[in-house]
Amino acid sequence: MLEPVLQPTTVFTCKDQFDAMMTCIYDAWSSRLGHSNIRLMTEPVGNMELFCTYRHIEPDNKKMLSVIRSIQNKISLQAYRMVYQAAMSDQNDKLDTIYRFLIAGFYYGASVIDFLQEPVIMRLMELNRKVGNEAHYFKEFIRFSNMEHHVLVSHIEPKSNVLTLIAPHFADRMPSENWMIIDMTRMLAMIHPSDQDYYLTTLTDQEMERLSKEYEDPFIDLWKTFFDTIGIKDRKNPKCQRTMLPLWYRKHMTEFM
Amino acid sequence: MNTHTTDLSLQEKLKILSDAAKYDVACTSSGSNRRGKQGYLGNAVPDGICHSFASDGRCISLLKILLSNECIYDCKYCLNRSTNDHPRTTFTPDEICTLVIEFYRRNYIEGLFLSSGIVRSPDYTMEQIYQTLYLLRTVYRFNGYIHVKAIPGASEELIAKTGYFADRMSVNLELPTTDSLQKLAPHKKPENLIKPIRQIQDGIIEHRLLIGKNAEMERSSGNRYLHHTIFKDNPYKRLEAQKSIGTSYSLPKRYREQSQFVPAGQSTQMIIGATGENDLQLLTTTQKLYQQYDLKRVFFSAYVSLNEDPSLPTPGTAPPLLREHRLYQADWLLRFYGFHAQELLSEDHPNFNIMLDPKCDWALRHLELFPVEINTADYATLLRVPGLGTKSAMRIVKARRQSKLDFPHLKKIGVVLKRAKYFITCSGKMMYSIPIHEDFITRQLLGEDGRQNWDIEHPQTYRQLSLFDDFHFHSNSTYEDTRKTCLGQL
Repeated sequence: MLEPVLQPTTVFTCKDQFDAMMTCIYDAWSSRLGHSNIRLMTEPVGNMELFCTYRHIEPDNKKMLSVIRSIQNKISLQAYRMVYQAAMSDQNDKLDTIYRFLIAGFYYGASVIDFLQEPVIMRLMELNRKVGNEAHYFKEFIRFSNMEHHVLVSHIEPKSNVLTLIAPHFADRMPSENWMIIDMTRMLAMIHPSDQDYYLTTLTDQEMERLSKEYEDPFIDLWKTFFDTIGIKDRKNPKCQRTMLPLWYRKHMTEFM
Repeated sequence: MNTHTTDLSLQEKLKILSDAAKYDVACTSSGSNRRGKQGYLGNAVPDGICHSFASDGRCISLLKILLSNECIYDCKYCLNRSTNDHPRTTFTPDEICTLVIEFYRRNYIEGLFLSSGIVRSPDYTMEQIYQTLYLLRTVYRFNGYIHVKAIPGASEELIAKTGYFADRMSVNLELPTTDSLQKLAPHKKPENLIKPIRQIQDGIIEHRLLIGKNAEMERSSGNRYLHHTIFKDNPYKRLEAQKSIGTSYSLPKRYREQSQFVPAGQSTQMIIGATGENDLQLLTTTQKLYQQYDLKRVFFSAYVSLNEDPSLPTPGTAPPLLREHRLYQADWLLRFYGFHAQELLSEDHPNFNIMLDPKCDWALRHLELFPVEINTADYATLLRVPGLGTKSAMRIVKARRQSKLDFPHLKKIGVVLKRAKYFITCSGKMMYSIPIHEDFITRQLLGEDGRQNWDIEHPQTYRQLSLFDDFHFHSNSTYEDTRKTCLGQL
């Protein structure tokens, strides 16, 4: 009897950035190794496994655009939004999940997103929802502090990479203000000069330090006063408060500082 | 009696006037959809945004303040009644505008909620409110959410003018029946309360037709799959409301976005537990308000005893939080699930079961309709299953197009089976062999819900975990409820 040939798994890895991930999907797909023989993951890889070959993929603009185009045309715009949002997650199975979702998506077409009894699709939906929820939390709970020259600065430490998801919201509501949101874990900043487009940039340690200085602001005390008075003592309910506003998000919130 | 003080700092004023405003429940910033504008500050998001949660777990979305806590009325339940000995103060319109703008820039709030005691006269107070909104919208260029109270008794012109600057307006009914209103708020006349509500409704209808919309307020999108919602089977439907979209006198498209009149609709609030109404009366009034005046929301507020008065519960009485919770659950059943008040409660059964949520309670009285087959039942039927909400029902309807569903599938698509398992079948099979028997199911459900109910009624208590179930069924239920749940049927 013939022993089945042990096919080694090939792991495609790339940086944790959207363009790199899309390129990685392109290369993994076109490698023709068979869907079941490959895996995709973002770097850092962590513990390497035996019987695996690792292949690092560099981002490539053309390949990225081609993948995005196929998702939008062959599945749907909504599916693309879900994939993008899931790609911002901090879970390490995200890239592989997106890959498996796309396999199903190219087979079923636009209706794939309702096929929740399929575990991969449910998982993508969960990733998408989790990132979406976190982004929504930050729309609610971000606090800006007023610095020199009327510049508003906010510091956050999100689990997922939410900056690109929340920026349009703030750009729409404060078009004529100078503001920036700093992601302290990724050292990224979304910067919006008044009456102009916003842009994403990386920060150096020095810039970071300069931007973390505290400023006198009479409205901080006013806000704290309001926050303390508005709760009704006879209805005090810290458990409910914790459910609605988890402790994790309170780190940079004015009223809890 | 009034100790009017003029030399208070902004901080002290804010403390007094937010403290006086906190018993108003409505703090939603939903219902408006308005993009930001260059040179202006703010936008409005349809679902609303909460910016923080206070120590009582209620959301803080708007800067909720009174313009003034002076009041010429003496309503017995109110903290600001004229005979109460409190420091009194009034904001200037500029102070309010500065607070709103600076709080909004720092992302503390979503907008302003402005109410007021009655200073001098209803007209004078409404005029001050109008001035504030006018300043805020035009001089301070604020484009965010504004919820404002219409003062009953103020002139129609002032209320209408204010409506063009506000997103939502509300008039608090406070008490659901004329009798209790007379008892507790002798200065307020029921017809004076209804008049501004009707006037604002007329304004909204007129304006909605003008900008090419349907006369009725938008409701949950899932409602289009339901045939007998309170909004469709509406005996109070008005003739204007039947006019359709695109009438010839609607505004040209380029003007539509700029002009608005109370786009997020009206709301109102009722106090629970200060007077002797039963849940049936409260819920029927609620339904009538939705149907007759097309209100967007009706809020309930568990009465917090503040004043000593022979006609009120004694100070220190715990607010009836679980009852408030049940009423909100029922309110949701009316607005999203296609239930009618008469289905949930009746003359023989005028109060909600303290132990069970209204939908479970209804289902147990209508076991002849169950079990429901997941693979074939329509959306409206699925919604009536206890434990299935709008999201789960929608997911089921979509997922079963791809393949037949069984119980593991339901778990995978995120349907919670805790309650639902007693009422559903998948391809003709129940999850376990469960007798469709009222006593049995009641007993099972009570065991699962007991602790949760206890938590709602006693939010501040901490308890050590116990290996054994000890549900402290502390309830204010009627004798009949107690008998039904504890003795008669178990």
